[in-house]
Amino acid sequence: MTIEKKLTGTELTIALAGRLDTTTAPQLENELKASLDGIEKLVLDFSSLDYLSSAGLRVLLSAQKTMNKQGAMVVRNVNETIGEIFDVTGFCDILTIE
Amino acid sequence: MIRIHHLKKAYPNATPLQDVCTEIRQGDVISIIGPSGTGKSTLIRCINMLETPTAGEIWVKDQCITDKKCDISKVRRKMGMVFQSFNLFPHLTVIENIMKAPVDLLGKTRQQAYDQGMQLLRTVGLADKALNYPDNLSGGQKQRVAIARTLAMEPEIILFDEPTSALDPTMVGEVQSVIRDLAKKGLTMMIVTHEMSFAREIANRVFYMDAGGIYEEGTPDEIFDHPKREKTIRFIRQLKVHEACITSRDFDFIGLMSELEEFGRKHQISQKTIYRMQTVFEEMCMQILLPQMAEGFHLTVTTSYSQKEEKAAMQIRYSGKAFDPADENNILPMKLVENAAERIEYLPIQEDAFNNQINITVK
Repeated sequence: MTIEKKLTGTELTIALAGRLDTTTAPQLENELKASLDGIEKLVLDFSSLDYLSSAGLRVLLSAQKTMNKQGAMVVRNVNETIGEIFDVTGFCDILTIE
Repeated sequence: MIRIHHLKKAYPNATPLQDVCTEIRQGDVISIIGPSGTGKSTLIRCINMLETPTAGEIWVKDQCITDKKCDISKVRRKMGMVFQSFNLFPHLTVIENIMKAPVDLLGKTRQQAYDQGMQLLRTVGLADKALNYPDNLSGGQKQRVAIARTLAMEPEIILFDEPTSALDPTMVGEVQSVIRDLAKKGLTMMIVTHEMSFAREIANRVFYMDAGGIYEEGTPDEIFDHPKREKTIRFIRQLKVHEACITSRDFDFIGLMSELEEFGRKHQISQKTIYRMQTVFEEMCMQILLPQMAEGFHLTVTTSYSQKEEKAAMQIRYSGKAFDPADENNILPMKLVENAAERIEYLPIQEDAFNNQINITVK
């Protein structure tokens, strides 16, 4: 998985490409831990994300909790397969999906 | 009629027949099926001694034909053989091809052989080709002539070695229908074939050959609808199988996920199904099972894909105490597995190192 970050003032956009799974979820977790200080809007761009597992979902949940305290988080460009995962797990009600 | 005791045939680099024991009864029509290289043709070539067995005995009625003193050419007269390549004499006409052996070996007069030959040609639908040369016939017609020639020797059994596999697909039907008619007449036959529907329809017994012998035998319904043994099931359902054996938490997860992807692509499995197979593997193994496994565990994941049914299934077996993942607090991973699966079944088992088994049919 590759992680691309773009910071505009207090808005951070993170674009993920590849697979967010058991082995790559800790990489995203670390990246978020190191980058969320002072961020008021977090945008996760999933346009190049191919695969998402429960390990990835847990990281998203944790990011959502952090952002609830300091601003907002949105997930963008979700493909059909990943959208289905958000639906069956109820994440579509927790996350803001654009 | 024919009894085979502990037949073995070994070549310098392969042993297609390790230990074959069986009996062929009068009137049996036996289809011999199985993957390439499992000794199907070798078996029938041993029965008429075109191949000399390495060990074992073959009895035809009360005569042991593997005995060196046996007059094999006399025994062969009672056994017809139809080959993949028709082996007709190109310099003889169709009727001459059929008349030759009865005149030379059975001592029939030319008139008797001609009358019988014409009768047989009518049976296989080729009476009007009697004076043609083999080169003027299609593949299907040549094979029908080859069958008529075999019948001219009035054999007690006919051995067919892939009789339609060298034919153009359009000609397979005409040859099969001739063989079907012979089966109805009560002739004893053994047929090596790769055509499953034909194998099923024509036979009263089916031999599935694999692993050095007749791996499973039964009626067509038993073999094709309810095969019992693993290799037969894989063959009949055209299963493609991937096996993963995990004995350490530090196994190569990325490598295994790539293997599943490659397995899927190789067998033209849809991308969606590959995704679901990977989800089942990751959630079940990485998220649910491995974290609770004790040291020295065994975990195997067998992924199979039936090309016939276009369905993937995964069987997960693991050691340790009885543990049904659905009972534990694994809500998120289980939701993903349930979304990828059509059916999930947990079974406590006791087999080798395994105490648990989960069968999952992938959506």
